[in-house]
Amino acid sequence: MKTIVVIGQTLLVILLAPLIGGFIRKIKNNLRMRKGAPVLQPYYNLSKLFIKQEVVSDNSSWIFKITPFIVLGAAVTALLLVPFFHTGFSLSNIGDFFALIFILSLGRFFLALAGLDTASSFGGMGSSREMFLSSLVEPTAILAVMAVSLNAGSTNLEMIANVGAIPVSSLLAALALFLVTIVETGRIPIDNQETHLELTMIHEAMVLEYSGRSLAMIELAAYIKQAIFFSLIAGIILPFSIVYPFSYAQVLAGFALFGGEIVAIAVITAVTEVSIAKMRLFRAVDFLAFSFALGIMAVVAQSIRL
Amino acid sequence: MPASYEKIISELKEKTGAIPLRLDYPAADEAYLEVSLSDFNKTCLWFHKKFNSPVMAFFAVDERKLSGAYAIYCLFLALDGKKWLFTRAAIPQDYPRFNSLAREIYSASRFEREIKEMFGIEPAGNPDTRRLNLHDEVWPAGFYPLRKDFDSRAVQSGERGEYKFDRIDGEGVFEIPVGPVHAGIIGPGHFRFSVAGEPIINLEIRLGFTHRGVEKLFEGKDAHTGIELSERVCGDAAFSHSLSFCRAMEKIAKAELPERAQYLRAIFLELERMYNHVNDIAGIALDVGFTFAAGYAAVIKESLLGVNEKLTGSRYLKGVNVLGGVCRDIEGDKKIFLKNYLVDTGNDFNRLTAMLYSSTSFMDRVDGTGILKRKTAFDFGVTGLAGRACGIGLDLRKNFEEVYNKVNFKAAKEEKGDVLARLNARIKEFEESRRLIKYFLAKLDEVKTGLAAAAGPAREGFGLGYCESWRGPLLYWVKLDAAGRIERCKITDASVHNWQGLAYSVLGNIIPDFPVCNKSFDLSYAANDL
Repeated sequence: MKTIVVIGQTLLVILLAPLIGGFIRKIKNNLRMRKGAPVLQPYYNLSKLFIKQEVVSDNSSWIFKITPFIVLGAAVTALLLVPFFHTGFSLSNIGDFFALIFILSLGRFFLALAGLDTASSFGGMGSSREMFLSSLVEPTAILAVMAVSLNAGSTNLEMIANVGAIPVSSLLAALALFLVTIVETGRIPIDNQETHLELTMIHEAMVLEYSGRSLAMIELAAYIKQAIFFSLIAGIILPFSIVYPFSYAQVLAGFALFGGEIVAIAVITAVTEVSIAKMRLFRAVDFLAFSFALGIMAVVAQSIRL
Repeated sequence: MPASYEKIISELKEKTGAIPLRLDYPAADEAYLEVSLSDFNKTCLWFHKKFNSPVMAFFAVDERKLSGAYAIYCLFLALDGKKWLFTRAAIPQDYPRFNSLAREIYSASRFEREIKEMFGIEPAGNPDTRRLNLHDEVWPAGFYPLRKDFDSRAVQSGERGEYKFDRIDGEGVFEIPVGPVHAGIIGPGHFRFSVAGEPIINLEIRLGFTHRGVEKLFEGKDAHTGIELSERVCGDAAFSHSLSFCRAMEKIAKAELPERAQYLRAIFLELERMYNHVNDIAGIALDVGFTFAAGYAAVIKESLLGVNEKLTGSRYLKGVNVLGGVCRDIEGDKKIFLKNYLVDTGNDFNRLTAMLYSSTSFMDRVDGTGILKRKTAFDFGVTGLAGRACGIGLDLRKNFEEVYNKVNFKAAKEEKGDVLARLNARIKEFEESRRLIKYFLAKLDEVKTGLAAAAGPAREGFGLGYCESWRGPLLYWVKLDAAGRIERCKITDASVHNWQGLAYSVLGNIIPDFPVCNKSFDLSYAANDL
């Protein structure tokens, strides 16, 4: 039973992950007085890319070819560790939150290598910027979850979710993790997914040389990563929707509540993106320092039982 | 001879020892001083210093059929910016070279390179003799298209070279080549950055990819075809281009424009300025990722294009100018419509500027970014809006145009020279344009009739037509032959000077800030490459 649910749940999240992206894009465009592409556009794009011919630079090595598989593989593996709207059905016994962060880092590491691999100037620029950001964002992410894990006495995500309480420290941690999510998903004010300006790109510059199926895999991995971070905020730090024990009614209620939380986070993300300008690259340090400070405050709040 | 010219000539003789051969003043606002080739540099240098004017334009004319020699013309803005002063010298055809001005007057350098590639006249001593528009990779050596005896069929064969970029060496310095094909739908230009990490330590801009041979195309055309061609030189300044061209032709024909036509032209010129300025504000907001404001500004731009269409039938104001005036009137319903529209768009625009100025994240990106120093700007001859943003106050509307001074026109002026200063200048100019149009519309009631002066028979002559387009001074120097056909047409857009300013404004900034610097200048590829 558990095997079937785990497989089903994983496939469901993979299937729904692009929808979040399409939804955010739609809200953003509506806020900007535009009609915008349909919510299902990411699926159209992915299906187009999967059947398109791939162009690979002659100057690239095996790293370039293997990277999409590693990135997508890492994203799916990380997905397995995350409890969504009920506990007991993630594979959190094989790894805790640290594992999650470092599995995602593996994907990022290979993406940066692939950016350098083609020797295009944009790829190198993107890789350098991505590494600069990741050195700042990873400690912040760990600190944020650390705060809530103190409450549970464990870094295991399922055990954290099981506690189910929402103290002040969780709210601070949620905010810190939201800022981390903005960086991890390449959104304004740190990066800009929509830009056509190759000189300002971070994530997009790294993957500029990819096309066809490889690009589809990398994009899908990015959608999954976004779903993971949204779920962490929704399910772990603010576990309104975590239901236990298992019953069909509970699962349905949990699913609806969880979905509602994800939609709320997506709307907040979209509004944030539309209402501010992108920061100057090196200002990202200030942004993440703020997030780091929030994380520390969350830990302190937790240790004095706030 | 007017006393002011006499004074210039006597002072020139006294200070430099140059001997003026002839002074022509075919029109009230322009004069041609002919000197021998050996006195040419002295004269130019003295004008440059005396009138504190960069080289506004510098070009050659193939006059071999007429006099057996080429002629070079170097243009300065003299007498407090109120007169156009050309220095002219003949260059013998069997020894086509002159001593370069570039070491003393940097703003001459780019023009000298152009003269070299188009006419094969050597600017001896110019440190940079690389080709500009006729790229070495595609255009063989030894073919000079603006010579009258040029045969395009012969160009097929010949040796092709390679362009050499400036190289910056050093530890940790690497090059980023960008373009000419870009990710957005913009003109083609190649940008070669040398960076140390993210900060830019050198930028070399290579243009010329949209070179279409416009000046050659003008040759042999009549006035009517010339207007149509000028409207197609640069799409976003179609009206300014045809205006400058028409003014040159009208000057040669000595046509007197009806006052109503002058006001109408001014209205259309300001409408063109408005849609372009607001478009550029949208671009700046978009390039820093402030997409809401960008969308808001784009809506205003679109409504302005709609106004253009309603008034003239053309969104980009094509087909409005005719020789001697305009062929579209603003009266009755159209006038009321425009009046009401100006009020509405004023409110929209105020909301837009409030949105920009109150956003700290936006202001943080534009304030202090891409500073162009006034001294650098002057040396490169930076003019127009980019010049006004760093303290160079030249605005041809103020200096020359009567209709503007009747309504107390105020030119925008900023000092700091950064992206914010250029943005401020645009915002001020947009508001000023709105005010001007309102006044011009009121003036239209006083001058009821007369859209265009009757075009007289074509006659021989030459003259400079100019206007302050939204980028800056746009000059058309036109020479007609005895049959009234165009013999030479030299176009100089502000972009020609300002691209060089851009290359210097980005130094020390980080790579991701380049797009917004570039957008704040908003220069033309088409009007530069020709």
